[in-house]
Amino acid sequence: MNIDEIFDNTSFTIDREPHIVLNYDVCSDCDNRGCVNSCPARCYTWSEEAQKMTFVHDGCLECGTCYVVCHRDAFTRWRYPRGGFGVAYRMT
Amino acid sequence: MSKSYQAIVIGAGPAGSSAALTMAQAGLDVALVERGSYPGEKNMFGGILHRMTSIEELLPDFLTAAPLERHISKKGTTFMTDDASFNVQHEASNFDRAPYNGYTVFRPRFDRWLAEQAVKAGATLVTRSTVEDLVLKDGKIAGVTIQGRSGQLNAPLVIAADGVLSFTAQKAGLRRPKFNADQMAVGVKALIDMPREMIDDRFGLVKDQGFANEFVGCTGGVRGGGFLYTNYDSLSIGLVFHLASLRTSGKTPYDLLNAFMEQPQVAKMVRGGRLLEYSAHVIPEGGYDMIPELFGDGILVAGDAAALCNATGVNLEGINLASHSGILAGQTVIEAYQKQDFSKKTLKHYKTRLDLSWVMKDLKGFRNAPKMLHINRIYNEYPEMVCSMMEHLYRIDGTPKTSITKLILREVKEKVGLKNAISDALTAWRAL
Repeated sequence: MNIDEIFDNTSFTIDREPHIVLNYDVCSDCDNRGCVNSCPARCYTWSEEAQKMTFVHDGCLECGTCYVVCHRDAFTRWRYPRGGFGVAYRMT
Repeated sequence: MSKSYQAIVIGAGPAGSSAALTMAQAGLDVALVERGSYPGEKNMFGGILHRMTSIEELLPDFLTAAPLERHISKKGTTFMTDDASFNVQHEASNFDRAPYNGYTVFRPRFDRWLAEQAVKAGATLVTRSTVEDLVLKDGKIAGVTIQGRSGQLNAPLVIAADGVLSFTAQKAGLRRPKFNADQMAVGVKALIDMPREMIDDRFGLVKDQGFANEFVGCTGGVRGGGFLYTNYDSLSIGLVFHLASLRTSGKTPYDLLNAFMEQPQVAKMVRGGRLLEYSAHVIPEGGYDMIPELFGDGILVAGDAAALCNATGVNLEGINLASHSGILAGQTVIEAYQKQDFSKKTLKHYKTRLDLSWVMKDLKGFRNAPKMLHINRIYNEYPEMVCSMMEHLYRIDGTPKTSITKLILREVKEKVGLKNAISDALTAWRAL
């Protein structure tokens, strides 16, 4: 299972508008950043060099992990994609 | 889009569709709102649907008509380390005859089918619609607004079956705004394509027989466990992690899943297979103590939204609790229409119904199980101890053997510590 090839294995109808929006200033201050390792889709990346968090919603599995794991309330928006968008499981 | 119904069910998963089916069969005009393009599109789970007697009553042809995969006739538990494993298996003819104890299923197929049964009974399925907010009128629930298809659906009664994060329950003030990571887990799963005959031969199965195995010691020290379930021509294999433990571990779910599938004994089980789909979802694992307020004026909460999951470690149950709670919520809405009272006064009977059912009795009975699962040693030291003990027990190498009592004592002292072992045994005893 190569997480970089998630789009080969799991289908998505990507909405241009992200359903999750972060206040990156909060992430820069965070002492834990458990979202980076906990997210099963690797949507979060932390750059030590730039001291900056990057979040990409494209491959989000809408699992809820980051919503639970974030203890700093970094989300200015956390909702499910509007109907018809987001992850689309075919089998599972 | 603005339409009026007698009740709105949010979420066409097992809880929501069971609720909609119950109400539609009683003649109520019900909207079943689903954010996916079809029910089941957003749903994943490990893979076992336990027996649901209350759905069988509502749908007499359930066992022949539902899209079920193999029935579970063989169950196993594996205690493993990076290079060894110790297996316990149970197989019985009693589990190999109808009514079967459980089946593997695919959620995009099963959830879709169950929602179709609600539609056949008269419910209106509204797909591609994410509920945005509750609509209040004079302080009372009057409907919901939706996004995707945009507009408003009106009804004086809402059943929140919108899953573990239930934003509906939060907006109604029924669940706390913040989850406790100690009470939540995340499951990740790989669906592996494999020819049916290969599965039969590899796991010792014939006809429709299925195998369900759970694993301990496979999560790199993170609190959690693994599972492997057989479908007709695929395997569901995955890991579940407690989020409080995963968060601080620095480890990633996919790396741990890969390591699990590459462990020598597990690798033999998945060899020759091809990855079909990768999925993940959060699971409410806090048990009885995590259950939110189940009712408010004009609203009921069912399924994962109400944290109705029973993960004791022996069985991992969720859909059966969800479906039953949905049925009881539906019955309470029917009662509310008979009495023409949509306030808490009547809706509190939903909780009474749940309390009297096996759902709450089980959750209450196993209320301490989550505590046991917080013993960190279960996930590393004990599996190591068991595997090491078995190796010493089986090894013949020209040196005198240690007595079993001595061997056990030595292993316990070395790997866990005597005091810890006694305290853990007590915790486990109290929990189960």
